[in-house]
Amino acid sequence: MEFVVSLFPHLLNGVALGLLFALVALGFMLIIGVMEVINLAHGSLFALGAYAALVLLTPDGGLKLPALSGYFALPVGWRFALALLVAPVVVGVVGMGLELCLRRTYGRDPLYGLLLTFGAALVLEEGIRLVWGPTERFLTIPSAITGGVSLGGLIYSVYRFFASGFAIGMILLLWVFLQRTPYGALIKAGAHDSEMVRALGVNLARLRLFVFAFGVALAAVAGIVMAPIWGVRPHVGVDAVVPAFVVIVLGGVGSFWGAVLAGLLVGMVVGLTGAFLTDWSLISMYILLIVVVTFRARGLLGKKSVLEQ
Amino acid sequence: MALFEARRLHKRFGDHVVLEEINLAFEAGRLSGIIGPNGAGKTTCFNVLTGRYKPDRGRVLFDGEDITGLPPRVIAGKGISRSFQIMNVFDEYTALDNVLIALPEVRARGFDMLHDIGRDTAAQDRAAAVLARVGLAGREREPARGLPYGDRRALEIGIALAAEPRLLFLDEPTSGLGSEATARLADLVGELRRTVTLVIIEHDMQFLFGLADRISVIHWGQVIAEGSPAELRANPWVQASNLGRLA
Amino acid sequence: MAFVRGWLTPPMLAAFVVFGTLPLWIRPVGLYEYLGVEILIWCIYALGFNILLGYTGLPSFGHGAYFGIGAYAMGLTQFRLYPNLWLGLLAATLAAAAFGGLVALLISHRRGIYFALMTIAFGQMFFFVASKWTSVTRGEDGLLNIKRLPADFGVVAFDLKPNIALAYFVFACFVVAVVLLWRLVHSPFGKVLRAIKQNEARAAFLGSHVFLYKWASFTLSCAIAGFAGGLFAMAQNGAYVQAMSLQWSGVVVLMTLIGGGLVSFWGPVIGTALFFVARDLLGAYTETWLLWYGLMFMAIVMFKPEGLAGLGQDVARRWRGRRRAAVGIPAAAPR
Repeated sequence: MEFVVSLFPHLLNGVALGLLFALVALGFMLIIGVMEVINLAHGSLFALGAYAALVLLTPDGGLKLPALSGYFALPVGWRFALALLVAPVVVGVVGMGLELCLRRTYGRDPLYGLLLTFGAALVLEEGIRLVWGPTERFLTIPSAITGGVSLGGLIYSVYRFFASGFAIGMILLLWVFLQRTPYGALIKAGAHDSEMVRALGVNLARLRLFVFAFGVALAAVAGIVMAPIWGVRPHVGVDAVVPAFVVIVLGGVGSFWGAVLAGLLVGMVVGLTGAFLTDWSLISMYILLIVVVTFRARGLLGKKSVLEQ
Repeated sequence: MALFEARRLHKRFGDHVVLEEINLAFEAGRLSGIIGPNGAGKTTCFNVLTGRYKPDRGRVLFDGEDITGLPPRVIAGKGISRSFQIMNVFDEYTALDNVLIALPEVRARGFDMLHDIGRDTAAQDRAAAVLARVGLAGREREPARGLPYGDRRALEIGIALAAEPRLLFLDEPTSGLGSEATARLADLVGELRRTVTLVIIEHDMQFLFGLADRISVIHWGQVIAEGSPAELRANPWVQASNLGRLA
Repeated sequence: MAFVRGWLTPPMLAAFVVFGTLPLWIRPVGLYEYLGVEILIWCIYALGFNILLGYTGLPSFGHGAYFGIGAYAMGLTQFRLYPNLWLGLLAATLAAAAFGGLVALLISHRRGIYFALMTIAFGQMFFFVASKWTSVTRGEDGLLNIKRLPADFGVVAFDLKPNIALAYFVFACFVVAVVLLWRLVHSPFGKVLRAIKQNEARAAFLGSHVFLYKWASFTLSCAIAGFAGGLFAMAQNGAYVQAMSLQWSGVVVLMTLIGGGLVSFWGPVIGTALFFVARDLLGAYTETWLLWYGLMFMAIVMFKPEGLAGLGQDVARRWRGRRRAAVGIPAAAPR
């Protein structure tokens, strides 16, 4: 029993990780759903989100913006909240630019969309290296959500509670948005059948632009929240986007709760393996993937999707 | 015994029943037709017969052998070939290559990785002969993508024919064709029926009634009438539906 | 000229002359032999990869894994089994084919985007294992001191330590690979692969065992990647985990496509040569050459997805058309 209890802090780490993976995966999946594009630049935009937050949080964040000099007098908490709001918007705008490039590939082999985003990933990562340098950076976070808290004789990281809570909030908001608003219904319809959306008289081009921006903004949010845990490196995106692929394949392409479930599963498995074999924690994720795709090819909650054809 | 038989086929998608109970028998050496109004389950029936879908109940027999639920490639291997309603040719290939890769001797050598098929004159000649048979002589080197609609349809039949089938299914061969192309197609089918057992699904009554030995009418997921074209014209069921007027 | 009964073609001979004389002209043009070695090895890799991408239509973003497995296999046979060049290359090829074949079993019923996603996941898994299994791969440090063993033909053995000798050896491998792959793409097997790429369902209804063909195509391209990886380990005197990363797996896709692998057998060769020359020339001016290269790649995908070979074909077609117009010959259908 004591042994099981001693695993709780690791479980918490896993839950935080898993929820953030799920958040990245959901944004990724919206983009797959509406434009049938695998966005290989998703990871780079995740990283870009963290770097944009860096600029808003620290005076030496890489970009010297003189207009911001007075702004750094604000308390860290304010700046952190502002970064969580502004950085995703910035990334969303970059995403819009990418979507405009992507337009030339619509109607052609989906491979070209994949390739274009791969090129974009290369450009973004090199661009980040150019602006912020190759060394690892750290985000300053408000002291209220740092440190540890002792519960039942075990130390838990406060930030992991914050990260989990924040991710849960975002996931629920996203669900409500998709389920309860007309725009959400439109996105779901677009994921189902783009012909239908056109028949409804909706501007499909604008819908795609918006969904792409929205999807990558979710990645940016996850990037910011993940930054204090993982640190900020130019290639940090790969570490987030590959688990997101795994989460999507595991949960079943196109399934909202499948992604959340798979994210939690992956996060907890990784967290628990991390308790015993720190170096090998991520391998469990791949084993999980192989087992699931071998025995249940369309994932945990997946229906037959357009991508399987 | 019939060459091909379907016994009590039942197929539904979700809770939507498409085929209630289908019984069909196609004799060797004959041209059999299947007609029915849109949404009657013709195409689904066709897809079940050729292995694209698995029936929920019932059996499909070919030459006395149960082939129900076998994958398409196995069914194809037994000598059943089919064309598709939606254009299904290999666009990047020339007309000749389209037919070439369907030839049994080329397919049998599918894992030969060393011999240039372009230099196999025997196979090339045979492919050219198939093209000539479907009226595409002289167009061997043209890419399939550039062929006019009617010729693409002929090419599709050529691909199906190249496999040297014992039984050839054609799915709505006249769809999308103008009257002149349809007449050409009727000539081609009339020519083919001398050597191949054919089953044709059609909505063009005139086309089918002029060619078929025997026709089955499918409606509401069942075979509602069967017989020679002459018998069907006299059938009250067929007369009552608008099918009779067209014939 | 029947070109030795279909084994050789004029473009092939041209490529062989250019690369075969490489040690003679590469210094005078300001480059160096090792660059030639790199280009030739990656050409073999990309040509094999194009069997999968260009001819079967299956995008793999995890092929670096098999290249890397080949490199490690080369080093490990040398260190732990028996130091012999042929044994090493054989082990590199077989190891990559074995792992590739296993993965192919799990993913060959997929295609398109889903297939790509699965290749990424498996590629990352191999990358991850290679970077953590330090007792075998030495992890981030790399498996160092892999020797360039002599090419022993029994009666005569060639020392491959100098870059010039290695360039000739790698050139010989390139010649064999090109000739065999050229045969392959024109064989019945190659025809079926291209048919599957164009219309998988139709190919199945012709009686082709699509799964088996896709499996064979994937495994074969992995074997070639492994072979190239073995050569690269020799060239670099080491095996490094970076080659297995998502980024480098993407680079081979990029080389294959920029050159025009989707429309031409020679696309991967053009793309590979361009990549390495660009690395050296752009790299001399700016450290962020990959940024500019990435932008160029994006532009090609957007405006000329058939790649450089496609561009060349357009120019040739227009030129032929103009000449025909000049002498009044009606234009034939494009072939």
